[in-house]
Amino acid sequence: MIQNLVDGVLTGSIISLGAIGLTLIMHMLRFANFSYAELLGIGAYTALVFDKLLAVLFPALSGKIGALTLTGTLALSVLLAMVVAGASAVVIDALVFKRIRAKADALSMVFASFGVALILRNVITLIFGQKAQLYSNDIAFAIVVSRDPLLLIKPDQVFVLLAALVLMGGLHLVLTRTTFGFALRAVAENPVLAQVSGVRLSVIVTSVWLIGGALSAAAGVFYALTNHLSPAMGHNFVLPVFAATIVGGIGSVYGAVLGGFIVGIASGLALMVLPSGYIPAMPFLIILFVLMLRPHGLFGEDQG
Amino acid sequence: MKKNMTRFATLAALAIMAQAGTAAAQDCSVKVGVVLPTSVDWGKPIAETALWVAEMMNEAGGVNGCKIDPILRDSQTDPKVGVDAAKALVDLDKVQLLIGAVSSGVTIPILTSVTAPAGVMQISCCSSSTRLTDIAAEGTTKGLWFRTFATSNVQAAVAAMLAKDAGMKKITVLYKNDDWGQDIGKLATAAFEAAGIEVAGQIAITDGQPSYRAEVTEALGNQPEALYLALYPKEGISVVREWISLGGTTKMIGTNSLKSDEFRDAVGLQYLADFIGTDTSAPRTESATAFIDSYTAHFGSAPAGPGLPNSFDATAVALLAYHAAGKDATGAEIAAKVPMVTDPAGEKVGGDVEGFKKAIALLSEGKSVSFQGGTGAVAFDANGDVSAPAVEWVFGADGAISETRYIPLEEIGAFLASVN
Repeated sequence: MIQNLVDGVLTGSIISLGAIGLTLIMHMLRFANFSYAELLGIGAYTALVFDKLLAVLFPALSGKIGALTLTGTLALSVLLAMVVAGASAVVIDALVFKRIRAKADALSMVFASFGVALILRNVITLIFGQKAQLYSNDIAFAIVVSRDPLLLIKPDQVFVLLAALVLMGGLHLVLTRTTFGFALRAVAENPVLAQVSGVRLSVIVTSVWLIGGALSAAAGVFYALTNHLSPAMGHNFVLPVFAATIVGGIGSVYGAVLGGFIVGIASGLALMVLPSGYIPAMPFLIILFVLMLRPHGLFGEDQG
Repeated sequence: MKKNMTRFATLAALAIMAQAGTAAAQDCSVKVGVVLPTSVDWGKPIAETALWVAEMMNEAGGVNGCKIDPILRDSQTDPKVGVDAAKALVDLDKVQLLIGAVSSGVTIPILTSVTAPAGVMQISCCSSSTRLTDIAAEGTTKGLWFRTFATSNVQAAVAAMLAKDAGMKKITVLYKNDDWGQDIGKLATAAFEAAGIEVAGQIAITDGQPSYRAEVTEALGNQPEALYLALYPKEGISVVREWISLGGTTKMIGTNSLKSDEFRDAVGLQYLADFIGTDTSAPRTESATAFIDSYTAHFGSAPAGPGLPNSFDATAVALLAYHAAGKDATGAEIAAKVPMVTDPAGEKVGGDVEGFKKAIALLSEGKSVSFQGGTGAVAFDANGDVSAPAVEWVFGADGAISETRYIPLEEIGAFLASVN
């Protein structure tokens, strides 16, 4: 029970990070972006490349930090990967979505996002192969926190949770304490009114892609740190991330964070009542349940 | 393309020759239906092998002195096409014996909607679904159904054998949540329990999930002595790494699907020292080598591709049983003679013209024979299933996959008999 709860929180933190960007994009650009989760994969693989590169350039940094399998080079690589993934998100928007946005409706954007997802996934496969890859081949052993009830936690997971919370906290500060944050929220509320007030829409859209890409990259690396890298990893996150977004209410950053934790915890706890084969259906059930009670999600607002 | 055309023409010519020969040499012929996917590249050699056996049988004297007239139809691995072909053979050509098909998805509808209702014997070289075992066990097939392809049952039984030999008492089964995984997971659970090993839990692993933490935690809660893994490498890697990181035992038994370098590299050789794998194996018998030699001599290349020895044996056993039953026999009468051809106590006969001649003579005298074919000594159980030899494999110290133990057919048969 406690173990499932803790595991759910840890998985949930990764889903939350992925959902924050998606909820902003979906709200501002008014389309369901199915290629968004592929940014996790881009981030994770970029970090893999930088990690190997830095380990050669600065061998001094390649030692492990404390009880973590995280190395100094990987920690640096996360930051670089966040920049690269953010930039790729902007580039993809410029190449594909911006052009379609100018000419076609939201449905065309959704279809385009499917295409982009396929391309991204296969480019990753082309470069890195189908094989599962790892940052470190060593298995990080879990620490027994308590024997009865049994509670095992891996140091890496604690790090991931803390790092995710720090990123979310940082975003919170930006959104609530800076002019840029106000502008961003204003655009999310009402793009037309925000533009009238002098906010440049294109700048905000670009920064949302940057923020979303960066957070997804972090989520991707954190996931790969506790599991492994494979070209399909982004694809595997599509459903949980969408569920978190919808549950939280499209457009609400805090809703996305909460939604991520809800999906993670519910999937963890579900095993106690459902046979294991039905666990993948859990995100759908949560979406159904929440939408029945609150049709616009937990924090969503009726947009009339 | 040109090569394909030539091969197809050869096949057609062969079939025509068989028919022409019938008319010229003898005044009687026995029609045998063959439904195989000749239009797919791996299906063609399977069909060629079946026709080759018919050719050799004819050379050896045919069924009761009558020439065997195999009528080959393409199933295109499509259930509709396969059923149509089988229906035409049974209704129009009045065959009493049907050889085919390859895919279980084609074989099953033919069996349940064409051959079994019409009382025609059906034998397949290559269908592996355990659904066929269930259909036979339900009595739908009326004993008219046989196949020379081992089911997942063999691997499940071997896993139980190895676990028992290793003295394991409590195992948790983790299976891939698809047809194959559910099938083998269920079979392995039954085999473990039959061998007196407690199955502490059966956990489905659905592929493409972001995390298997919950599933692994559940397995950990069972406190098993070992894990049974019926998984593919992708989810296997996640599950096993998670399992070991949580302090789970490194004692694991895995299916042949984990026989992969990817799995070894990603999990890490240091954690796989106690890992035991199972797989079915080509028989290491003289008759299997003899099949390879004579196939190479006949077709000019060694048998490559799936199901060739199985196709050889299916056809040979069926035709010999046909002979034992007589040229006017019904499907049920032919099926009833199959045990005479695969009698372990009978005289051993090989799969060549000489062997067929000897078998035909002995069967005519009412004596049973033990057919030794490309898959070894063929022996069917009550549901028309065969067993197969198996191997135990491990990841060696240098990381190479090495087979550490060969388990012959007899040993698996004895184990299956002891637990049933």
